[in-house]
Amino acid sequence: MRSPATLALLAALALPAHAQLGNPGVTDPATAQARPGMPAAGETNVADRLFLKLAAMGNFGEAEAGRLAIARSSDPRVQAFARQMVEDHSATRGKLESLARERGLPAPAMPQPDQVEAKKRLESLSGTAFNTEYLAVQLADDQKTAHLLEWEINAGQDAAVQQLAKETLPVVLEHLRQVQALIAETSGAPPQGLAAASPAMPANRR
Amino acid sequence: MFKPKALLLCSIAVLAPGAQADPLPPDATYRPPPTQPFSEVKRMDEQQKAAVMQRQAALLGERYDLADRPLPGVMMSGGRKPVQGGARVKLAAGMSWDRLASLGPEEIRERDLLPQGFRPLPHVKQATGGQVFPQRQIDVIASLEQRDLRRFDVDMDLPDHLTPEFPPPIFLTTHPELGDVSRGQALTLRNFYEIMNGIITPVQMEGLRLLLTPFPQEEFNQTEDRKVAAPSMGVACLDCHTNFHTNAAFHLTPDVRPQSARFRLDTNSLRGLFNQQIHGSKRSLRSVEDFTEFEQRTAYFNGDHVSATRKGVHLPDRPNQVAMMAQMQNIIDFPPAPKLDVTGRLIPEKASAQELAGERIFNGKGRCAECHAAPDFLDNRMHDLKLERFYKVGKTVNDQVALPDGPIKTFTLRGIKDSPPYLHDGRLPTLADTVEFFNLVLGLKLSQEEKDALHAYLLTL
Ligand code: HEC
Ligand code: HEC
Repeated sequence: MRSPATLALLAALALPAHAQLGNPGVTDPATAQARPGMPAAGETNVADRLFLKLAAMGNFGEAEAGRLAIARSSDPRVQAFARQMVEDHSATRGKLESLARERGLPAPAMPQPDQVEAKKRLESLSGTAFNTEYLAVQLADDQKTAHLLEWEINAGQDAAVQQLAKETLPVVLEHLRQVQALIAETSGAPPQGLAAASPAMPANRR
Repeated sequence: MFKPKALLLCSIAVLAPGAQADPLPPDATYRPPPTQPFSEVKRMDEQQKAAVMQRQAALLGERYDLADRPLPGVMMSGGRKPVQGGARVKLAAGMSWDRLASLGPEEIRERDLLPQGFRPLPHVKQATGGQVFPQRQIDVIASLEQRDLRRFDVDMDLPDHLTPEFPPPIFLTTHPELGDVSRGQALTLRNFYEIMNGIITPVQMEGLRLLLTPFPQEEFNQTEDRKVAAPSMGVACLDCHTNFHTNAAFHLTPDVRPQSARFRLDTNSLRGLFNQQIHGSKRSLRSVEDFTEFEQRTAYFNGDHVSATRKGVHLPDRPNQVAMMAQMQNIIDFPPAPKLDVTGRLIPEKASAQELAGERIFNGKGRCAECHAAPDFLDNRMHDLKLERFYKVGKTVNDQVALPDGPIKTFTLRGIKDSPPYLHDGRLPTLADTVEFFNLVLGLKLSQEEKDALHAYLLTL
């Protein structure tokens, strides 16, 4: 049987499963460390802080666009997708807000400026034109979000924030695939990107 | 006694064979310098313009059915424009495609039965030639860059629905998951950084910046020998290759002289360049780097380095600029072809019976695969299709002398539905026309059913 001291030592040596083995060469020198090269819990850097802000805004904007699409779209496939977006982004919002709160950082409840513009455009549209534009906006938004998450996974240093990015990325890529599939279904163009390999919507989301 | 003739003969005898002076005109190879002030040229060009466009419209109307008749449910890869259906090349009265295909080349040539639309397509103004941009590109560049791509002597001659979708989608080999990364915009100097930031490398970004930077060109420069109203900043690579595809801008081949014999060149797509080993319909340059380095004296200055020097040539530096421009071009992927497997064969479960029949014809009776081999649907060779078997060469049409095309690069057929018009000069408006063209040229004698199947197959590529 191991002594309590050995257990404590093992616990200290074991890496948290989700922590990044970051590049100490670019760490902020003021970062409190749990061990060499490993920032202490809640020690954010510029990337983490910017990520929390941008992700909160982007997330807010996508949920807003989703609500607009539920109300405005005449296509049940687009509506189903929009409902999924509202659901997923509401779940993420809670996680982002609590991470920000714990770190004393803002999680702005407002959309990104480009999303404000897009919403204005969408509000002036209806019918097929609305669907086409909503899907085009979602395609770009999901591409940008995937990029933002991949950036945080590498550039951030706060393990919990990075963990959220890691958990969210596959969900966003699935959204991306769905938008790509929907663009194909509604426009008649061949499915692109991830949808080129598996174009069908999962049965539960039809 | 003075005998000039004898003297001449004598000197020839001394200098022969190097110094014989054939009585050829002086400007047959080089571009002649302008003889009139700019204001005069512009005034006359503008007065001529309506007649120029009318003459070209009449030619197109005679050769083709230009109607807007999309194939139901078949869109280009960005979902922004439908693919046009039906063979549009007009047949002589009383002729049918099947009858035509049943005749031998000699008979077709002797009786002058080759459809006019199968013959070389002239530039709107052969005598001047030069780059001509479609209205959408002119509008985008005017609004985002305040740069003028409009010529005062000629306009685009093809109707919008017979050209590629605008702006075309962009697919990156480095990010297959993202799909179209264009955000529905045409890349310009004003927006490229924001659109591409974070998804391409610094080297690719710099390459992209250079591909979007205007440089002086034969018709767009500051000299009196220009065809744009105000002294011009010039032309960027992606002014023709919008989003690395094509917007159907055209010019005259830099590779042929004299002027009346130069053929029209339809801009080709830069998608999938990474797997192509020869570049240019005639030049057969062996790398994207070589083509990029030299395009500014060929597309830009008609293959006339002297003229280039006069108007302000840009010589991209090979180890830096050229390499970066090439690396950017080399990450542009073909559009998705979800019905093809990794070797470029149709996946039977995803394809229709007609498409599968088309594939069998493509690989068998139609012989297409002999030159257009999967997975890139080209063979990295040039072929002489010898179209002159079917018509008498030398006829002048709208100031262009119709001569044999000679060997031309086999173009890829991946993503082919996205890039009308077809062939190097854009003489064929639809894919259905290309099926009729090759049916005749290769002597295939395909039935209507077989041609329809082949057409359906081409749409899956
Ligand atoms: C008139 C508009 C135009 C502009 C501007 C233009 N191109 Fe092209 N490009 C063409 C045409 C037309 C062809 C086909 C040439 C041929 O068949 O010989 C072509 C062919 C190419 C090809 C070879 C494709 C192949 O594999 O056969 C490359 C590469 C290319 N261009 C790159 C560029 C670059 C780089 C620039 C800027 C320096 C540029 N282009 C500017 C019209 C243009
Ligand atoms: C002997 C080689 C050869 C064979 C066989 C051949 N092609 Fe081609 N193909 C070419 C060449 C060379 C070109 C370019 C010709 C030109 O532009 O003048 C071309 C061009 C094309 C184009 C237009 C490409 C573009 O970008 O504009 C299409 C479409 C096409 N071929 C389809 C076919 C089909 C369908 C078949 C079979 C019925 C076929 N080809 C058989 C050599 C071949």
